[in-house]
Amino acid sequence: MNPRRRPAARRGGGPLAGEGRWAAAFLAPTLLGLAVLSAGPILATLAISLTKWDLLTAPKLIGLDNYAALLTDDRFLKALRNTFFYTVVSVPLGLTIALGLAIALNAKVRGIAFIRTAYFLPVVTSTIAIALVWQWIYSADSGLLNQVLGAVGVPSQKWLSDPTLAMPSIIAMSIWQGLGVNVIIFLAGLQAIPSDLLDAASVDGAGSWARLRNVTLPLLTPSIFFTGVLSLIGSFQVFDQIFVLAKPRPTEATITVVYFIYENGFKFFKMGYASAASWILFLIVAVFSAIYFRSQNRWVHYQ
Amino acid sequence: MITDGSGSGVGRRRLLAFIGATALVVSACGGSTASQSASAAVASATPATPASQAAVSPSAAPSDAGYTGPEATITYSIWGDPQEIKNQQAIVDAFHATTPKITVKVTVSDWEPYWDKLQTSIAGGDAPDVFAMDGPLFPDYQTRDVLLDLKPYIDRDGYDLGQLADQAVTDFTTPDGQFGLPRDLNVVALYYNKKMFDAAGIPYPDDTWDWAKLTEVAKKLTLKGADGKTKQWGFYTESTDMENYWSELVWQNGGDIISADHKTSLVASDQAAGGIQFLQDLIWKDKVMPDAAITDALGDAFEQGQAALESNGSWLVATHLAAGIDFGIAPLPKGPAGQATSINPTGAVIYKGTKNPDAAWAFVKYLASPAAQTKLMELKASLPANKAVLTGPFATSFDGAKVLADAIAYAHIKPSFKGFNDWTTALQTELDANVFTEPKKTAKQALTDILPKLDEILAAQ
Repeated sequence: MNPRRRPAARRGGGPLAGEGRWAAAFLAPTLLGLAVLSAGPILATLAISLTKWDLLTAPKLIGLDNYAALLTDDRFLKALRNTFFYTVVSVPLGLTIALGLAIALNAKVRGIAFIRTAYFLPVVTSTIAIALVWQWIYSADSGLLNQVLGAVGVPSQKWLSDPTLAMPSIIAMSIWQGLGVNVIIFLAGLQAIPSDLLDAASVDGAGSWARLRNVTLPLLTPSIFFTGVLSLIGSFQVFDQIFVLAKPRPTEATITVVYFIYENGFKFFKMGYASAASWILFLIVAVFSAIYFRSQNRWVHYQ
Repeated sequence: MITDGSGSGVGRRRLLAFIGATALVVSACGGSTASQSASAAVASATPATPASQAAVSPSAAPSDAGYTGPEATITYSIWGDPQEIKNQQAIVDAFHATTPKITVKVTVSDWEPYWDKLQTSIAGGDAPDVFAMDGPLFPDYQTRDVLLDLKPYIDRDGYDLGQLADQAVTDFTTPDGQFGLPRDLNVVALYYNKKMFDAAGIPYPDDTWDWAKLTEVAKKLTLKGADGKTKQWGFYTESTDMENYWSELVWQNGGDIISADHKTSLVASDQAAGGIQFLQDLIWKDKVMPDAAITDALGDAFEQGQAALESNGSWLVATHLAAGIDFGIAPLPKGPAGQATSINPTGAVIYKGTKNPDAAWAFVKYLASPAAQTKLMELKASLPANKAVLTGPFATSFDGAKVLADAIAYAHIKPSFKGFNDWTTALQTELDANVFTEPKKTAKQALTDILPKLDEILAAQ
């Protein structure tokens, strides 16, 4: 062994030395929580997905039958399609609107704090309460939306029961509901942009659009990346909006994967089947997250 | 799992972001309903407790007069609204007064979370000692061996099942035993708004009414405002569950829902489809009833004072009274094959793993007793299941009560079989989307389309 490689020389080098030790100490509660409360159940779900299990009697090992059945289950495929549609529409649209709002709300005008608070309110309101209000907005009979549209001559629509309108209506509510979180993160990102960079750009003759495009947006990409991850994962797991808005039960146009999982696990006594569906969802989310993370080299700029 | 291949310097911040995101994926998936209870449930997938064995051979022999066991506290779970917990608490308090040695703790949940909680608590071996059981869902629990057979207790105490409404008792009977006693029951009848009938000078509905008469009167009572919009509907019901009206229409037309052995779906027969077609026609052809899109927002149009007639359950009596509607109750109109309605009991069942089977049995017995059933009657919550009350004071307890009590004679039990939720969800999704919410298909066509799926679900049970 190389005599110079004494323990003393390694101080500060190993993962559990110096700062690393503190980092480990601070991470420990979270990691422990993840291991016990998340990793354990997730692995258990994998085991359950290989069984026919009704939750109440002994499970029966059936190999990959649940997965095979899911791939030919019309309702599951519709749930997958609806979930993809929800994600593909709500994530980019939600982020774009939030970004625009954040830039507008970054202005220094009187009462801005109040307006910012107003945009954050839906975030701290329960989905149930929000859905009740939106049910009234969307009401086919005398809803606010139909009354407003009726005033300008647009005929009444069945926002929540028309198969082509139901999912877009739910997406609109979800975007409104989730706006506050993204706006706050973008606002924080905007305010972290050093003003000297913007000033320098101005001096160089950049107009407001050029400053936004060449300075603000690139420096905001870490925030966009972060909110993107949150939105992506959240969208794939959309449940509560469906649970409360799609009355009396989701149709083929509004069922989502997590609702499908809930329905099979807790209503149809098919916990094995539900577990297999949740693993398919898990893999889909993991793959999309991985692709998303890989993409960041190309567009995310860390200062 | 996601892997971050880069080990470069840039990686540190990225790695932190990655860990954060992984945690999100992981925790978010962990939050999905299926996996939450899974690990706890695996450990006790086969609940077999000493108590349940003790229960099979009751040792002590307390007299019918009362409970002679040790002091005990038992839990009693029900679904319902805050009013329902008040109703049941009143009955529980009365029980405690007569049997001070047993304390009963009541917990109430909304309908959906009630069943979620029940399943997970049974899987975890920590279910309530006594809980409410909906007739149609009973087989899904009984066949999974989680309910206590009451037969040994009934025999031991010489308890007379004949004092309870027959259909309500047999709904909880299997070849293996008696797995619950009815706590209350519900039938469906025709509510009518007296003021609307008086205003139009039309005589109130009676037992001579048939489908044609219903359509005729409902048309007369459907009134449009100056803007062409309907401001008063002739008729209202819920099309989202068979019990509110369409199963009755199927029976009134000579059809049926499912075969006696629960292996074959019968809903696609001409008779069954004809019954469901009548409901579609009320909405889309005769236009005397609001469609689902309107109903979703409006709620119960009859309760809102916007419909003249309603086919619905006896559970709505208290609600309609509270809404200040001046209403009467008539039998459902007869169909081509005669009179029929639906009856659905709520049972009180005992968890097989209970540590206090004797105390639980004493309580379940009390719930079905004339004393408790009289209280139930006073609350107008449901029909009493005990004949002494049902055929006695109940009939005169409010205007229309006799019609409800008499309806039991021609009532069909609401279908009750293993896989009920799975089967009805498939069927109702098809009906909602293509028959009731939009008239995209005739009833016959929709039912024929969904039939293979329905029978597939039955075959998988």
